[in-house]
Amino acid sequence: MEHWNQLINTALLGTAKKPAGSAGMSGPLLQAADTILAQADTDKEDKFLQLAAVLYNYRQSGTQPITANVAPMKVCPPETKAYCKPAAIRVLHQVLETESIQLLQLWLEYCVKANVLVPPAQLPVILDKGWRNKSLRALVAATGGQRAAWLGHFNPDWNFSRVAYTIEDRWQNGATAQRVEALKELRVADPVMARTWLEQSWPRESVTVKTELLSVLEHPADPADIPWLESLLTEKSKQVKETATRILKKLPGSSLHEKYWQIIAGAIQLDKYGQVTVALPEITDESIFQSGIERFSSDKTVTDDTHVLYQLISSVHPSRWEGHFHRDTERVIALFQQQESLKPFIPALVLAIAWFEDKERALSFMQHSETFYIDIIPLLPAAQQQEFGEKFFDEHPDAIIEYACKHQEEWSLQLCTRIFKYAATQPYTYNQQFMNNHIRLIPVSIAATLDSITPVEAYHTGYWNNIKVHLGRLLQAKSQVQSL
Amino acid sequence: MNLSDEQVLAMAPDESSRKSGKDLANPAKWVSKGVSESALWGECQGSGSKPYQTQIDTGNMAFKCSCPSRKFPCKHGLGLLLLYSRQPASFTETTPPSWVSEWLSKRAEKEEKKNTTATAAEKQPDTGAQAKRQQARMQKVSDGTAELLRWMKDLVRNGIMDLPEKDPSFFENMIRRMIDAQAPGLAGMMRELADISYFHEGWQSAFMNQLVRIYLVIQGYQHLSALPPALQQDIRTLTGFSTSQEELKEQTGVADTWQVLGKQTTEEDRLVVERYWLHGVHTKRPALILQFYVRGQSTISNALTPGSAINAELVFYPSAAPLRALIKQQVTVPPNHSFSGYAGWQEVVSAQTNISEVLPVYNDQVYTIADLTPIWHAEQWWLQDSRQQLMPVKKTFQHIWKLLALSGGSPLHMAVTGKETLYEPIGVWHEQEYKIL
Repeated sequence: MEHWNQLINTALLGTAKKPAGSAGMSGPLLQAADTILAQADTDKEDKFLQLAAVLYNYRQSGTQPITANVAPMKVCPPETKAYCKPAAIRVLHQVLETESIQLLQLWLEYCVKANVLVPPAQLPVILDKGWRNKSLRALVAATGGQRAAWLGHFNPDWNFSRVAYTIEDRWQNGATAQRVEALKELRVADPVMARTWLEQSWPRESVTVKTELLSVLEHPADPADIPWLESLLTEKSKQVKETATRILKKLPGSSLHEKYWQIIAGAIQLDKYGQVTVALPEITDESIFQSGIERFSSDKTVTDDTHVLYQLISSVHPSRWEGHFHRDTERVIALFQQQESLKPFIPALVLAIAWFEDKERALSFMQHSETFYIDIIPLLPAAQQQEFGEKFFDEHPDAIIEYACKHQEEWSLQLCTRIFKYAATQPYTYNQQFMNNHIRLIPVSIAATLDSITPVEAYHTGYWNNIKVHLGRLLQAKSQVQSL
Repeated sequence: MNLSDEQVLAMAPDESSRKSGKDLANPAKWVSKGVSESALWGECQGSGSKPYQTQIDTGNMAFKCSCPSRKFPCKHGLGLLLLYSRQPASFTETTPPSWVSEWLSKRAEKEEKKNTTATAAEKQPDTGAQAKRQQARMQKVSDGTAELLRWMKDLVRNGIMDLPEKDPSFFENMIRRMIDAQAPGLAGMMRELADISYFHEGWQSAFMNQLVRIYLVIQGYQHLSALPPALQQDIRTLTGFSTSQEELKEQTGVADTWQVLGKQTTEEDRLVVERYWLHGVHTKRPALILQFYVRGQSTISNALTPGSAINAELVFYPSAAPLRALIKQQVTVPPNHSFSGYAGWQEVVSAQTNISEVLPVYNDQVYTIADLTPIWHAEQWWLQDSRQQLMPVKKTFQHIWKLLALSGGSPLHMAVTGKETLYEPIGVWHEQEYKIL
């Protein structure tokens, strides 16, 4: 190689400046070089090229592999679970072609349910998807097996997959996504234990991880967390403080919630004649405004006092009104509807019902209100969500679609048809990406009626048809996943 | 016939066909479809009033479609095959319709005719005129090589330091001159010289490698009669003289079961070059099948499926180290996953020395090597053999993660292409099965 490098140096400078030489050569190579360089009737350039040809051949004829002292590679431990069947791999190819993360999620969920692993050849693609989509990471980790964890040692982007079988194991040894999932599972089963785990590991966590893990305590929020959450308000990190405040706002027993209520209770009074008076006293406690309550109204038709009260009402638990007015839920709702002074605050009461996820009062409100409040929809039982969604679709199509997208269960065929009929009129909003992101909710049976759904405007036809073709592919792949 | 997605898609002539083929692997697109022992067919509703009739001879892997596409296979052929590979149960096993059976019998007839009428009288060429034309061409090529040599010497005299700043016409003019001189092989070698990335580290060595190769071909051509006959053929081919495929087909070939180890596709000025790397199961010899076509205008009749196997008679082009071959007859057979190959890198480099001895300007080869492990060392990937000897993996290799995932740190038998100190894996034997990368 050294001779070759010398030759390149000569080539760079040119034979006019530096003729080819045999310096450093020995043995048969030197013999050949000397013969070439001694030719009297050959010019410098020819000599150079001849020497280059000899060196080229000398090099390629004597190529040797490298013997280096390389530390042996750690071999991946054997898998304890089986790989998924070839039929599932064929479906995976179809799923990947659609580029729908939700479909891939469905496919991975099938693997988890069937207790099988993604075969090695498919792992790089799946790990890459997991790297790009946080929502897939826990599933990828659960189906990647030892091989995925092993690959993570070589590619830091994939270092979110560690083999762990129990919740405790995932919490102790898993990557962040796995720990979050473990904590979520435990939070539902044993909320106190979940908080205890987090409290114990808290000093060792980084700020980003702290925020991510703390958010888990929001679902469900537990009054027993209040002392610990309030202690976190002195944390250095702004993100952590904001998260703790958000959770505390969901807990009626928290100091902040009580402060809010004290102001409201002083401002809204029911007199002995059954009339409600509203008068906001001056708020001297600055912590109220520091907690996120806006002091001034940005709407000229709404006074600052009304604006502040509106925000406070939407932040206190709706059950408080029953004790305050000594009336049951239905009569409280009636009072809000009848009293002129309270009417402006009905939407705030609806927001409070939604904020505290008060399903019971949500149902009462829907039954006793003539007005439809869209914010209540997610709190209703699944069947009623679909029913109200269909019933009020024409009044609030975009808002109903927005809530429908948060459903846990597939849309009914009727609701789906309504949504698609509307989507056909707005194909730039409800485009292929929208279908990709919500295919989990779209029933496969809609495929049979897709042809009958057409846009109103002729110029939307082409674009909508493309969406339908794509949707057809998504539905076909979904049906394949479901048939596994 | 049991093909994987990768195998079917590897047959696609380009990326857009691959994508369209995937779209058509949808039962809703097919008005009718069926399968028999030797064929697969379907009618696909396209933009026209009548559906396109797509048919595949699964015995010899040949495609035909009534669509106007000049690509081969067309998207309908790929879609149909992909659909079959994914959902074989959706195809009814039945007798082929007349439009399929007619095509199949025509193909069989043609094949038979080819075998029996090879000796039929052909128009006798005017040998005198032919010799005259040949003489004139030899002279033209000779003049061209002399001019190219002058150009090279000027370059060497003045130094190559300024090459990265040179105008593209610096190479283009000489490439055109080689075309005019009827030396398309040398023009191609010059094109490779022009295409070197002059802004990447190490361009000097890549440039000198190619310059020397061109120099060797020129010298070989200028001293042709002094060379051994087989090497003369190599030099003629490298200069740009073609070998008559018809004449080659007259010769007796090497019959074997050939594993199709992989396919590499390159494209230059719309000319697509497909390299199929084959390995003889019994003869244990490698072979390279080259197919050329202008993008979008493929007229290739038989497609090879990477990862599959064929029973075929291959005729090798005359060479000091025969590698390139053409298929005389072929029948697709079930995949053969047996492995035979070199024990390690030492044997590979010894084999290369043997080639280099008889053919100094050899190109990339294909090797099947036992027990190679991909390892990360000194900031790059290597392939380590069972004697802990290493060879680097080409930096442009795109499937390193798939290779690593399949290996899991354990050695795998591997098929690689390359030469000297740069290799690219194209497939591995994993769990008793050959898998393309």
